[in-house]
Amino acid sequence: MDVAEIISHHILDHDWGVTLSGFRIPVTTHTVTLLIVSLVLLLGLHWISLGRQSRAGRLLTTLMEEYVSFIRDGIVLPNMGKEGKSFLPYFCTLFLFVLCSALAGLIPNMKTATANISVTAGLALCSGGLILYCGLKFHGILGFLKGFIPSGTPGWLVPLIFPLEVVSMIIKVCVLAIRLFANMLSGHMVLICLLLIIFVVGQMHIAAGAGALVPAMGLELFMTCLELLVAFLQAYVFTLLTSIFAGSVIHTH
Amino acid sequence: MEDLLKPDYGVLVLTICNFLLLVYLLKKFAWNRIIGGLEKREQQIAEDKAQAQQARQAAETLKRELDEKLTQISDEAAKRLAEAVKLGDTQKEQILAAAKEQSERLLAQAKAQIEAEKNKALADVRGEIARTAVLAASKVVQQQMSEESAQSVVDRVLQEIKAK
Repeated sequence: MDVAEIISHHILDHDWGVTLSGFRIPVTTHTVTLLIVSLVLLLGLHWISLGRQSRAGRLLTTLMEEYVSFIRDGIVLPNMGKEGKSFLPYFCTLFLFVLCSALAGLIPNMKTATANISVTAGLALCSGGLILYCGLKFHGILGFLKGFIPSGTPGWLVPLIFPLEVVSMIIKVCVLAIRLFANMLSGHMVLICLLLIIFVVGQMHIAAGAGALVPAMGLELFMTCLELLVAFLQAYVFTLLTSIFAGSVIHTH
Repeated sequence: MEDLLKPDYGVLVLTICNFLLLVYLLKKFAWNRIIGGLEKREQQIAEDKAQAQQARQAAETLKRELDEKLTQISDEAAKRLAEAVKLGDTQKEQILAAAKEQSERLLAQAKAQIEAEKNKALADVRGEIARTAVLAASKVVQQQMSEESAQSVVDRVLQEIKAK
C-alpha cells in the first residue's frame, strides 16, 4: 500500500454496500457518522430541554440557553433582523450539526463527515433552499426576482446584471459547500501526512523513524488542536454566511 | 484521489433528508422548549428590571419628598430655636431685673431695720445711762460727794460705756 492509497483510505468515504431489492442504500462511513451525530444531538438536546433539576441538568440547560442566545443575538438577528427569529431552530441545528460532524472525526473509528463534498453540498443545498424560501416568503416571486437587480441600475443593464446576480447567488451557495469541505479535508490530510512521516522515514532507517516520532507526534498534537479550532470556526462561518445570504434576500437593496 | 470531488448523490440526498429531519425533530422536541425557556427567563428579567426601575424611581421620589420635609423641619426647628433663645434672653433680663429690684428692696429694708434697731439700742443705752447716772448720783449723795466729783464719776462711767 503506497502513501497515496493510505491517504485515500483515510480520507475517502467507504460504502458498506447495502442494497435493497437491487436499489443501493447509501450506507457509508460518513452517513453512519451523520446518523450517529444526529441521534446523539436529538437525544442529548431532548434530555437537556426537559429541564432536569439535577446540577448537571441545570448546568446544561443554562449552557444551551447561552448557546441559543449566542446564535440568536450574534448571528441571526444582526443579519436577518426580526424576520429571522422564526428560523432560529434551523440555525441552532445547523451550527451544532456542522460542529459535531467535524468533531466526530477526532473520535477513533469515526470519520469527519464534513470532509465529504456530498455531505457539504447537501448542507449547502439546505441553506440554498432556506435562502430561496426567505426570498419567496417575504417578497413573493416577483419581489424576490427584483431583489437580484440592484437599485439604480439602468434599464439596458438589467439583462446583463440579472443573470450575473443569480449566478452570484448560486456561486455563494456552492462556495459554502466547497469552503467547509476543503477546510475539513485539508486538516485531515495534514494529520495523516504527519503520521506518515514516521513510517516513510522509518523505511529509510529504523533509528531515523524513531527520531522522527517525537517531532511528528508533537506536530500531530498541534494540528489536532488546530482541527478543534477549525471545527468551531467553520461551523460558525457556515452558519454566519447562511444567515448573511438569507438576510440579503430578506432585506434587499 | 479523484473520487474526492466526485459527488455521491445517495449520500447527498441522505444528508439533506437527515439534516432536515433533524431540524424538524429538534425543533419539536428540544429547541421550542429551550427557546421558550430562554424567552421566559428574559421576559422575567425584563419585568424584574422594570419593577426595579419603578421601585428605584419611587424610592427617589420618596427620598426627594423626605429631603424637602427634612429641610422644612430643619428650618422650623432653627426658627423655633431662635425664638426660644430670644424668649430666654428676654426672660433672663426680666428675672435679673426683678432680682436686682428685690435685692435692692431687701437691702433698703435691712438698712432701715438696722437703723431702727440702732436707734432703739441707742435709746436703750441712753435710758441705761440715765438710770446709771441716777444711781451714781444717789451714791454720790450718799457719800456726800462734791458736784465735781459727781461729774467726774458720771463722765468716767460714760467713757467706760463707750469703751464697751
